[in-house]
This record gives sequence, C-alpha cells and structure tokens, in this order.
Amino acid sequence: MQSESARAASRAEARFRIDAPNSRRRAVKVIALDRDSERIVERLARASWAGAAFLTANAGAPAREKRFSMSGWLADLAGHAKDLVDEIDSADQVVMIATAGGNLEAASIIGEACSLKQVMTTALILSPASTADAALSRSLAQLRPWALMLVIASDEDYIADMLAALRA
Amino acid sequence: MLKQEQNDRLTQTGPGTPGGRLFRSYWIPALLAEELPENDCPPVRVKLLSERLIAFRDSQGRLGLMDEFCAHRGVSLWFGRNEEGGLRCPYHGWKYDHTGQCIEVPSEPAESGFCAKIKLKSYPLIERGGVLWTYMGPPEKQPPLPEWEFALVPAAQRFMSKRIQECNWLQAMEGGIDSSHVSFLHRGELNTDPLFRGARGNQYNLRDARPVFEVVESAGGLHIGVRRDAENGNYYWRITQWVMPSFTMIPPRGNHAIHGHFWIPIDDDNCWTWSYDYHPTRALTEEELAAMRAGKGVHVKYVPGTFRPLANKDNDYLIDRAAQKAGRSYSGVEGIAMQDASLQESMGPIVDRTKENLVSTDNGIIMARHRLLRAIKALEDKDAVPPGVDLVHQRVRSAAVILPADRPFMEAAREAMTVREGTAHASV
Repeated sequence: MQSESARAASRAEARFRIDAPNSRRRAVKVIALDRDSERIVERLARASWAGAAFLTANAGAPAREKRFSMSGWLADLAGHAKDLVDEIDSADQVVMIATAGGNLEAASIIGEACSLKQVMTTALILSPASTADAALSRSLAQLRPWALMLVIASDEDYIADMLAALRA
Repeated sequence: MLKQEQNDRLTQTGPGTPGGRLFRSYWIPALLAEELPENDCPPVRVKLLSERLIAFRDSQGRLGLMDEFCAHRGVSLWFGRNEEGGLRCPYHGWKYDHTGQCIEVPSEPAESGFCAKIKLKSYPLIERGGVLWTYMGPPEKQPPLPEWEFALVPAAQRFMSKRIQECNWLQAMEGGIDSSHVSFLHRGELNTDPLFRGARGNQYNLRDARPVFEVVESAGGLHIGVRRDAENGNYYWRITQWVMPSFTMIPPRGNHAIHGHFWIPIDDDNCWTWSYDYHPTRALTEEELAAMRAGKGVHVKYVPGTFRPLANKDNDYLIDRAAQKAGRSYSGVEGIAMQDASLQESMGPIVDRTKENLVSTDNGIIMARHRLLRAIKALEDKDAVPPGVDLVHQRVRSAAVILPADRPFMEAAREAMTVREGTAHASV
C-alpha cells in the first residue's frame, strides 16, 4: 500500500489543494531615502500594486522645524507631508530604498520608529558596479543598524521583483 | 510569489526550454566516478535535464555519455555488452563508441559504410574530483572545465555523495539558501551530529533565533550573510555562497569540513542532490569519513544498492512522533538532509509559487530567482554567457567569522570568501 506521504505528494493529489486566497493584503510602505531613489520609487509607483504605498523621506525637513515633529519626515509622491508614526502604525512592513553614496540620514528616524512599533524593516541599496567601495560602506553603515534584512542589488529591476514576491 | 509563467521558466529544464538552456551552459555533475569503476564495467543509466542517457567506460578507459537507446529498434543500451572499445546492443549487435558513433552493424557489409551514417546524440564526460561531469550544451560553447575547490583538493581531503530527491530542483535548491530555517528545523543536530558538534559558533546559532540578514550580489550569484550577536558587541557572521545555477556552500563549523550541494534536475519532478564535504588543508579523518558514510551531516543512509534515501516518502520518512514530542528531534525525521528533503518533497513535484507568502527574510530566495530569470532572458535575447560559467566565479568559500559591529562582512571577510590554496577556511 502506498504510504500517506507518497500519495499526498503526488501530482494527482495536487488537484485537490484548496484554491482559495491564503493571505490578506499586506500594507507595505516603500520609502525612498535619497534623491536618486526618489526617482526610482516614482517609476515603481506607476505599476499596479496590491497594497504598497510609495513615500519619500525628507531628511532636511525637521531641521527647519523649531520643535521636533513627526510630521515632516515623510511625504507622498505628490509632495504632501505624511506623519511618520501614522504611516508606520498602519504598515505591515517597511522597505527603505537607497542608492549608494546618497544622504541616508532619514534611515535612523524611520528605523527607530519601526523598532518601537515592531514593524519589520528591509533596506535595499542600489549599488551599480561603478560605485566606489567607500561610498557603499558609508551608506551601509547608515542603514545596517535599522534593517533586519539588508539587500545590496546592482539593478533597479530587482526592487519590483522583490515587491511582487512580497505581495506588496 | 511568482507568476505561473515565471515558475515554469525556472522549473522546466528539458530540451528546448529556457531553463534547460541555462543548465546546458554549465558543466554539471552526472555520476560519481565510482559508478564506472573500471574499463568495460557495466553501463549505467543516467537521466539528466529530462534526457535519458547511458554512461560507460570503454576498454581504453574512455568515458561515454550518450542516448540510452539503440538507433536500430530502440532497445535500452543498459542491456549492452561493454567490450572491445564500445557498447554493443545485445539485440542485433550494433556497436557504438564513446562518442555515440556506430562502429559496427553486423547485418550490413562493412564495406557499405552504413554504420558511419548512424550516430547517437552524445555529450562529453570527464572525471574531476571524484565526479564525472558533463556539458550538455552546444559544443562550440563548451566552457572550461569546472574548478570548484572541492574538486581540486587531493582525494583524501574530500567526500562526495548523491541522493535522489523526489521534487523539482528549484524547491530543493531554495532550501540551501534559506538560512533562517536552520534555527528551527535543524536545531537538534547542531549539538549532536558528529560533523557539526563542538563548534563555538553553534551556540550563537542556538542563542539567537532572530538573526539579521544581508544579501549581496556576487559576480557568480549571491553572498548571503546572516549575523547574530556574539560577545563584546561583536557579530557572529555566517556567509553562504550561491553560485548559479545551483551550487551552494554552507558556512563551516569549527574545524569540521566545509560542505554544500549541487542540485541537478533529473527531470522536472526529480533532482539529484549532490553533497560534498572537504577540508582545504587536511585529510578527512577516519571518524569523519565513517560518519559521512553513515549518513551524518549533509549525507544520508541509502536503500541498499540505490541512491534513494533509506527514509523516503514510501515509509513516511520514518518519522518518529515520540522523538518529536519529547523534543529529541524538532521535525521527527532523522538527519539534516532528510529533514530538508521530507519537507521539500511534501510541497509536491513542483511547488505552486503563485500561492506562497514570502517575507523579507526570504530575500535570498527572491534574489536567486531574479538572477536566474535575468540570466535566462539574457541567454534568449543576447546569447549572453550566464554567471557561474567563469572559473573565477567558482573560486569561492563560505565562511563563519566574528567581526566588529561596524565592519561590513563584504569588506572584512573578503579574503575569507575566496579560495586561498593551502589556507584553511575561516570558521568559528
């Protein structure tokens, strides 16, 4: 007699797998940390996504504020300010996009907020082959403390593939 | 998650498929050298990339790998007589040399030259490092012979095994680059398996179940770094190597040998899992070899006379529910290799990746798929040589190191991730 494992793993049995959604929509906040990554995020946002929101980090904004505020740190792609805490609160996952050598100061603020709210952080740094080692190292040092998953990719196409794989 | 069309491109490797073309760009392991131990030994059936082949070692020691079936009436040449410089079909005596060229058709006058018109499809087969390797792509694109470190060290420093895995190659390979499962599925083995136990690094693994990951593209594939807290603010890093299309090297533990795998498609529903262990600077000890032969570490016990694991789906992998309940084994299946294989086979012949829910710690898997798909497209569009063919891409090592918190592993462990002849691997 065929064992249970042999029967269950057969091609014939695959027909009886339940064909129903097995997950709910995830809220993934994709945040561009520097100017170059803003352009990438703008291009990404034109595609169709299940539950991704595309934002930019405005690293200079709080410096202009007299009192510390969470409202100046993020903006949507139309330039409207977004409250960092609100955005993190409603996120299942935060993906920070950066380019090697860019100004990534905002990573620490976003990372700290995610840490407080127990939101998983992924940082993706684009580093074309021409990037200088020193520039990449500086950028990594800014991201590393705040990313539970850090990806160094050579091409922009990877970001779209990653977001699709994560059902963003 | 993948689209069905992407899943098909990655998982189908038969002749004429995009994924098959990718695999046909590389030298791939076909047989253990010991399967053809002497001249004129019995031929061996081989199925690779959905092609049925026959391998033999002729009277002069020349290795042949060709279409399994006689061109005359389609008889399997597994029944053939390996004699006097060729493999002869026992049905009507047609004989083939190691290149598949027919050299005798007894029913036809030799002067007719008929046999010169008959040739079976064949592929080169070469021996290196205890493995017989083949290249199944266009002859004019044959790459240089493989230079994986395990294949170049003296024989006494190496142990090779292979086993049939009854699922598609990709879901098996993805297990090899999924570092986050070790703290769960294999946690019982780190302190008990003779090929792992005793390493200081094991304790970092067991103490920290929420590691932090870094995935970095390399020229040939990926470096997958996983860091856990160590003493004095330092990090314990384990760096896995993946080289396209299906070579992985697991980070070492203590002074144990380094090990890893190749996953080679037999057909779309089955693959060979090749497992190697080697030490760059010393011979393996008798105790280590005995443990490897006994199925410890990444190796398995076999159904006698086969390469099928003794624990397999037909006996429910000999799962021991009492051991699982008592905490002696996390999964209840014995041995690291079958703990992985049992779960991967349970997904079905080809897992439906349109249904999966990946998370960010799966970025190694996501990136590997991305690179494979990119290489397949570049082959189709530009006939580009894929990563992993270049011998420099093969000169990699996995590593386990302790680094200061502010040192990126890519910089601080650069040397440790490269083959340095005569130097031991970096391990904790």
